[in-house]
Amino acid sequence: MDRFPKHRVLPYGLIFPSISIIAIFLIYPFGQAIYQSFHRINPVRRQLVNVGWRNYVDMFQSSEYLNSFRNSFIFGVIVIGLGLAISLGIALLTTQRIRGAAIYQIAFIWTYAMSPIIAGVMWSLMFDPSIGLMTHVVGNLTGYWINFFNDTVAAFILVSVASIWVMLGYNITFFVAGLQNVPHELREAASIDGANTWQVFWIITFPMLSPTVVFLLFVNTIYAFFQSFGLIDVITMGGPSRATEFLIYKIYRDGFGRMQEGQAAAQSVVLFIIIAIVGAIQIYTSTRSAVYER
Amino acid sequence: MKKVLNRTFLLVLVLTLSFASLVNAEVVEVEFWHGFSGARLEVLEKIVADFNALNPKQQIRTMLYGTYEEGLARFLAAHPVKQEPALIGLYEGAMGAIHDSGMIIPAYQIPEKVGVEWDFGQYVRPIVTYYSRDGNLWSWPMASSTAMIYYNADHLREAGLDPDSPPTSWDELHEYGLALIEAGVVKHALAFGWPDWMFENQLALHNLEYCNEGNGREGHPTEVSWPNEFTDKLLTKWGDMAADGVWTYGGVEYDANGAFQSGELTFLMQSTSSLDGILRTVGDDFEVRTTFLPRLSEEYTRGNTLIGGSSLYVSNQATQEELEVIFEFYKYLARPEVDIYWHQNTGYFPSTNAALQRLMDGGWFTESRNHLTAFLQILSGKTDSHAAAGMKLGMFVQAREWNRDAIEKVSRGEDQRKALQYSADQVNKLLAEYNEFIQN
Repeated sequence: MDRFPKHRVLPYGLIFPSISIIAIFLIYPFGQAIYQSFHRINPVRRQLVNVGWRNYVDMFQSSEYLNSFRNSFIFGVIVIGLGLAISLGIALLTTQRIRGAAIYQIAFIWTYAMSPIIAGVMWSLMFDPSIGLMTHVVGNLTGYWINFFNDTVAAFILVSVASIWVMLGYNITFFVAGLQNVPHELREAASIDGANTWQVFWIITFPMLSPTVVFLLFVNTIYAFFQSFGLIDVITMGGPSRATEFLIYKIYRDGFGRMQEGQAAAQSVVLFIIIAIVGAIQIYTSTRSAVYER
Repeated sequence: MKKVLNRTFLLVLVLTLSFASLVNAEVVEVEFWHGFSGARLEVLEKIVADFNALNPKQQIRTMLYGTYEEGLARFLAAHPVKQEPALIGLYEGAMGAIHDSGMIIPAYQIPEKVGVEWDFGQYVRPIVTYYSRDGNLWSWPMASSTAMIYYNADHLREAGLDPDSPPTSWDELHEYGLALIEAGVVKHALAFGWPDWMFENQLALHNLEYCNEGNGREGHPTEVSWPNEFTDKLLTKWGDMAADGVWTYGGVEYDANGAFQSGELTFLMQSTSSLDGILRTVGDDFEVRTTFLPRLSEEYTRGNTLIGGSSLYVSNQATQEELEVIFEFYKYLARPEVDIYWHQNTGYFPSTNAALQRLMDGGWFTESRNHLTAFLQILSGKTDSHAAAGMKLGMFVQAREWNRDAIEKVSRGEDQRKALQYSADQVNKLLAEYNEFIQN
């Protein structure tokens, strides 16, 4: 099969720039990471020492790593599950026929336009143990004074809430777009047949929304495991006592702060494998259950 | 016509390029990486711009590398591939690793390399001691600080306490804190930045070493000295103060400054480099005063507080021309007016004795007595013991992190001995691995 007769070389020439960018910026560094993961680098004299599987073995024996592993997954489940549920709820509300629906939609969506750094500074000031507005509101109402500087649970919740909040706008945008594609007649017909609001949602709206849900699940997984980095760096820097040192942040700390590049490389290889598996499972199972037919 | 234009254009281009390269050949530009963020950045930029204006052929180009930790990691990674700057400012935590790296020219050899003699006696003694190895200065003094107590004098008056006699010991600090809380002046009385550095400072202040091998100054340390009888007492005290609500954990670096500035805390233990920021922010809202760090008990002999901040290192791959520019820059920094400008706008110590004298003669220390506190504290302390000079170790970043981890546990009411022992075990393991690397 010759799709481009007379142009044998041109197609390769055309894809060459993209392929070379991928090779230089993704494949080569990834190969380097795998190579480094079997070495330790003398932090001050820069020699590579081959240590075989020691980085991997040490990793799974280190309570810090296992702790980070567990926390990352709890964080992922909270941010993805709760984040998607809340945004779907808000999207449903703002697509109701109410006055000023567009204003509400915009008001909820704009959080995504904010850089994670600004959002992080905002949240950490709001909950600053001494001068935070919300700290005082919560403290005066409940008598519990939040100090996320040393309270591991408070720090974990704060980072989770802030991460959900930052991603809300993005999720709502896609849910609103998805909801607007659900034919009104179908919902109306169901209501006439006697289905209540809840049944209409589960039987008509949600299945028709499933491609959007699948897409958002994937994007939010990437967000929770990789892109939450900026927020964590601004709010807690992985602390207190490593409670918010999630996998991606630990890689950064180990590689660039603690001068343990080999160990960080091994962790990044493991993280890559985890994400690849999670992503594949998600796409596989959900594309089968998602309804793409109209 | 078009052809002629094209040719003219080409000719102009060639001429410009060759002229530009001719000019460039004479200008030596030295790259200078530093970590001076925030208000300090403007002050540094001004000093560098003034230096560059002096001699158009000797130029310094600054680049902010981010946090101090990142600066060290970047320098170590850039040096083997020859991408490192000729000049870099690094923090005290980098000292052990950078000395061991063999990537720098020790500061004391630089004057010799440019063919002049230079009197290191003109620099303030404790700074030189801190950055010295075997009696020779290894990095150039620039931005030195130490820790001290900042306090809100108005709060003390409100609680019926005498602002002229602030607490001098941890017991007194505890009592003052309880009195302030009881009087309803504040909810918490004390917080500090850099908790790990405060712990290190307490050891040095009581003339106790942090690790073996002469506090890391005679060799590569193999284990830390803590937990010990002293840290038991100190951390128990901190735990008690946390339980009473007197001490609240104030975060890793400068987070607690905000609380102090807005009058939510009476006492703040922080680096002197925050002084000008705090004075400017507080303005006339309340009276800011400063005093020496508290001591635990007089059964321990006196040591000194620790030098922090950053000092300048020169890559051993710098060219002779670059070295000459760097030395000119060093000489420029030592000019009293430059040193004074730096001190008055950042809170860092003046580095030279000449600047110090001029400041004193001009009445600066009576006019702004808060600028004298930390200085007097460090000048009046001991300088002839390894403990007072401060520790040196290669895996400093992690040692600090583990130490901080224990302090956070103490602030949450966990058992101090157990917490510190766990951290010590982790640090000792890291020291062993580091030493293994160094010997290979």
